[in-house]
Amino acid sequence: MTTTGTDVTGPLPDDWTLPRLGRVNTEWFTSGKLLVQTCNQCGTRQHPPEEICHHCGSMDLGHTELGPNGTVHSFTVAHYAVNRALADAVPYAVVLVTLDDDPSIRIIGNVLDADPGEVHIGMPVTATWVERTDENGSVQLIQWVSR
Amino acid sequence: MEGRAVVVGVGESPYYKRGGASESEFQLACIAIRNAVADAGLTMADVDGFASYMDRNEPVRLSNALGTGDLHFTGQTFGGGGNGTAAAVALADMAVSAGYAECVVVFRSLAQGQFHRYGQAGKSRRAGGSAAYTSPYGMLSAAQICAMQTMRWMHDHGVTQDSLAEVALACFAHAQRNPRAVRYGSPLTREEYHASRWIAEPLHLYDCCPENDGAAAIVVTTAERARDCAQPGVPIVAAAQGLAHRGGGAAFTEDGFPTAHYDLVARQLWNRAGVKPADVPVAQFYENFTGPVLMAIAEMGFCEPGEINDFVADGGIQLGGRLPINTSGGNLAEAYIHGFGCVVEAVRQMRGTSTCQVDGADLSLVVAGPGFAPGSAVLFGRDS
Ligand SMILES: [Zn+2]
Repeated sequence: MTTTGTDVTGPLPDDWTLPRLGRVNTEWFTSGKLLVQTCNQCGTRQHPPEEICHHCGSMDLGHTELGPNGTVHSFTVAHYAVNRALADAVPYAVVLVTLDDDPSIRIIGNVLDADPGEVHIGMPVTATWVERTDENGSVQLIQWVSR
Repeated sequence: MEGRAVVVGVGESPYYKRGGASESEFQLACIAIRNAVADAGLTMADVDGFASYMDRNEPVRLSNALGTGDLHFTGQTFGGGGNGTAAAVALADMAVSAGYAECVVVFRSLAQGQFHRYGQAGKSRRAGGSAAYTSPYGMLSAAQICAMQTMRWMHDHGVTQDSLAEVALACFAHAQRNPRAVRYGSPLTREEYHASRWIAEPLHLYDCCPENDGAAAIVVTTAERARDCAQPGVPIVAAAQGLAHRGGGAAFTEDGFPTAHYDLVARQLWNRAGVKPADVPVAQFYENFTGPVLMAIAEMGFCEPGEINDFVADGGIQLGGRLPINTSGGNLAEAYIHGFGCVVEAVRQMRGTSTCQVDGADLSLVVAGPGFAPGSAVLFGRDS
């Protein structure tokens, strides 16, 4: 396990669920960059990525790299472990972050350097990436640290 | 009432705590359907259609086992879960009104003792689709999703924790008058609400629907057939389902976040029915969690979001208040049958047979699961 920008990997167990890579999400989950899907025809951004541009219908889709700063738009603190494997992880906070470069983009994550009680709406955060590996390979999970 | 579909029968299985049913989920479905058909004064051979949402109990198996007539219609809604409760009634309304079928049973059976518990989440190595963006971060359950919505909505509109409590307190108060309710004989105080443990902030234990075993059903037929039935027909005045473009989205990316997904449903329903929220004397709001109920009350037009604290305070949503909701005890305190108990209760209000009857009520609203898209609602009236 290696991380970029922080030595904390987040509140969940090391063998917790990872994203399954598919047709449109590989760049998002493996580049270690904030690559937001962008239509090559009309320039519309959309997140999560889809197989077709919701504005013009084009299937010719690329990416735009946006800046790492964001703001906590909402959050919850999970106290009840919905799976036995999370019994030692609770309580943990999950945040919904809007990007300062484009507040229409919202991203789920955890704030790696804050206790659950410190997380609040309006909290300024910046993106970081956590590398995780299982038998299917490696991913780079976007995460957040306070700024 | 000519040409309008009518509810002529309601039925339930016994309602149990999770794992309390000795019957299987399929048997519970059969019991509720039999009870609804008998309540209508019909026979199983009269049934020629089934409608539901997210149900495992296939009409083919039900028809074989129960001895229905020839089936002319089966339908189930897409998407989410309890947000399809009223849309399933709308499917029966459409099938009957358009003449595809004459006697459609709408039902939901859910045994969380026998099957997956809604309050828990499995652990998979890899999560695909929209879960790819949420599961790796521990965002896993409906409670956590609705907590995320509620947290921002409370922040935006100054909604208090006490206003969330009012929903739970209304449900538990009404359940004390309903012997069918799982929480009958177990009242809830405001102090107990606030002292209960967090599930996912800002939701306490009593903000969350329980896990139950049970089934509920209604029978929908034509106004003409209804005249020969055992019960007074309860007409479906209007129903609506709705989702604006980009109004739903994976991982909280929908336009308008946080929303209960009821703005568009409200516009259609009130338009179609030719009435306004102030005309509605009683409503059943599907409570997955209390926060989204408050959001749905506002989006349906009963008050502005900023007025919700006053709207629910001082018994505002209890019997005798400005809008009594969840008069059977609802999902929180009667039983969580994925919201279909709310439909049965709404029909009882129009028959005048609720254990929390609103005197003189001539319209009865059901708002299906909030916070998940597309939302749906149905408005019942009285036979005149
Ligand atoms: Zn485009």
